[in-house]
Amino acid sequence: MAADDDTAELRARELQDREARARAMGGAAKLARRREAGLLNAEERVERLVDPGSFVESGLLAVSSAPGADRESTPRDGKLTGFGRVDGRPVAVVSNDFTVKGASSSQTNMKKIGHVKRVATERGFPIVFFGESSGARMPDNMGARGMGTQLGNDPQQYVRERESPWASAVLGQCYGSSAWYTCLSDFAVMRKGATMAVASPLLASAAIGQTVEPEELGGWKLHSEVTGLIDRVAETDEEAIDLIRRFLSYLPAHRNEAPPRAEPPGVVGDEAAAAIRKTLPESRRQVYDMRKMVEAIVDPGSFFEMKPAFGRAAVTGLARMDGQTVGIVANNPRHKAGAMDVPACEKCTRFLVMCDSFNIPLLLFVDTPGFVIGVEGERMKAPGKIMNFMTALQMCTVPKLSVIMRKSYGQAYLNMGGGRNSDEVIAWPGAEISFMDPAYAVEVVTWGRDVDEAERERLRADMARDSTVWGLAEIFAAQAVIAPEDTRAHLIRMLEVHQTGLTGGIGRHRMAGWPTTY
Amino acid sequence: MADHEIAADVTGTVWKIVRQAGEAVAEGEAIMILESMKMEIPIEAPAAGRLAELRVAEGDPVAEGDIVCVVTA
Repeated sequence: MAADDDTAELRARELQDREARARAMGGAAKLARRREAGLLNAEERVERLVDPGSFVESGLLAVSSAPGADRESTPRDGKLTGFGRVDGRPVAVVSNDFTVKGASSSQTNMKKIGHVKRVATERGFPIVFFGESSGARMPDNMGARGMGTQLGNDPQQYVRERESPWASAVLGQCYGSSAWYTCLSDFAVMRKGATMAVASPLLASAAIGQTVEPEELGGWKLHSEVTGLIDRVAETDEEAIDLIRRFLSYLPAHRNEAPPRAEPPGVVGDEAAAAIRKTLPESRRQVYDMRKMVEAIVDPGSFFEMKPAFGRAAVTGLARMDGQTVGIVANNPRHKAGAMDVPACEKCTRFLVMCDSFNIPLLLFVDTPGFVIGVEGERMKAPGKIMNFMTALQMCTVPKLSVIMRKSYGQAYLNMGGGRNSDEVIAWPGAEISFMDPAYAVEVVTWGRDVDEAERERLRADMARDSTVWGLAEIFAAQAVIAPEDTRAHLIRMLEVHQTGLTGGIGRHRMAGWPTTY
Repeated sequence: MADHEIAADVTGTVWKIVRQAGEAVAEGEAIMILESMKMEIPIEAPAAGRLAELRVAEGDPVAEGDIVCVVTA
């Protein structure tokens, strides 16, 4: 080729050719198979997430840098990265392209992830990960030179300081980095049929001789019900991505701003009050679903539950009160009578850390007979988990408002904001507060003594009388006793009182570097 | 038709049997009520169907995770 032929036109054509090659991803056949399976490809997932026309890609022309690698077979090096907007606010995106070498991690694509992570962190906006990758690329990572070249060169790669929110969707098989980033995220959604695990069933079979189905190794039921590593489950890619959009709508772009305010719903009237009255049983022995209570108190339709199938004796989720983002931590009498077990403690701890890190005020709704006791809990380190939860609550610097709706007993009284563990303790007239249920307390105080039934009943009645809300109000351990139907209005007013005006709604984030799994 | 094995989600005792084996059950309907921590905790049908099997009787102790009944839906 003569020098004169190297014109701007030719260079422009080469750019077009390279862009087209990158956008072809792993080829028409692989993309067609995904479509037939009802799966979005890496580009379509980004399009579903961001506002139309807002995406600018970073690294479209990047390919594998491995010696001898076929550059033509690694468009984008298997990971699509860039910046877009969600509801007008900036966001960074990492979308794994499984059609290119299983979106395996390599030198170039790890640099791409590192870049958008660094930009999002330093400029202050969320990162969204679409997980679907097979793990480290082989054979690039093999051997001492492979390891030394490929891995461990970013000492901040797995550090979460919670500078800005992270959200992940598990949308296929996720081994290696896709699993790691999911676990590091503030919100994780999983599509049914996807898998997340340390290593694939194939490796489990080869290395330890364990034959296991992907679903059993790391499917949606395992992670939503047993491990709690997943916050929500979706039927489709589209639903998963929409859940991420919704999650982000509650969060600030970064930790140095207050969460965005939505349009207040206007007057929420008698219907909500009636729902509260209808939900609360007459008998203190009967259970109810706390989620109905939450929905009756917060802005209509605003409750976004996290981990609904995990640690169900507790309820956690984001919601709005008169347009303001709040975090709900509640006991659910519907499950284990509201007695929190180890999974419930883990769920509460993780949620408290997230809310505090992103300046989200907390509402604690209390109805618990205490923590679950017994052998199973002790084997799962219950005392340590209860203290993690308690430490997290005490380290929170966002406003904390606690509503004792019915029972509040023992250490759980403290974990749910009793005493000075919340900024305001608000109680309903039927609230009962004590160290333990009078029925059990009688057994303790009469242990080893010959006490007749009449005396036991007298003791029980005295203890029950001493456990009423009025004692709490008289010594100012409750700042207000209110009718249940006034709860919404009272909380909205108290959120105004406790708005952190001195710092513009920004907390101290003392748990920013806490782990993401407990 | 699928069998749903229903486990107790809390350790306690069987306080009351509400539905007998062979009876039709609606989704969400209480099959039995456990007592734990002085609370009445219903065991509900996960789906509409027939109560195929009752594995406990009133007064029986149950541990968390014990299968207490089976619903065919």
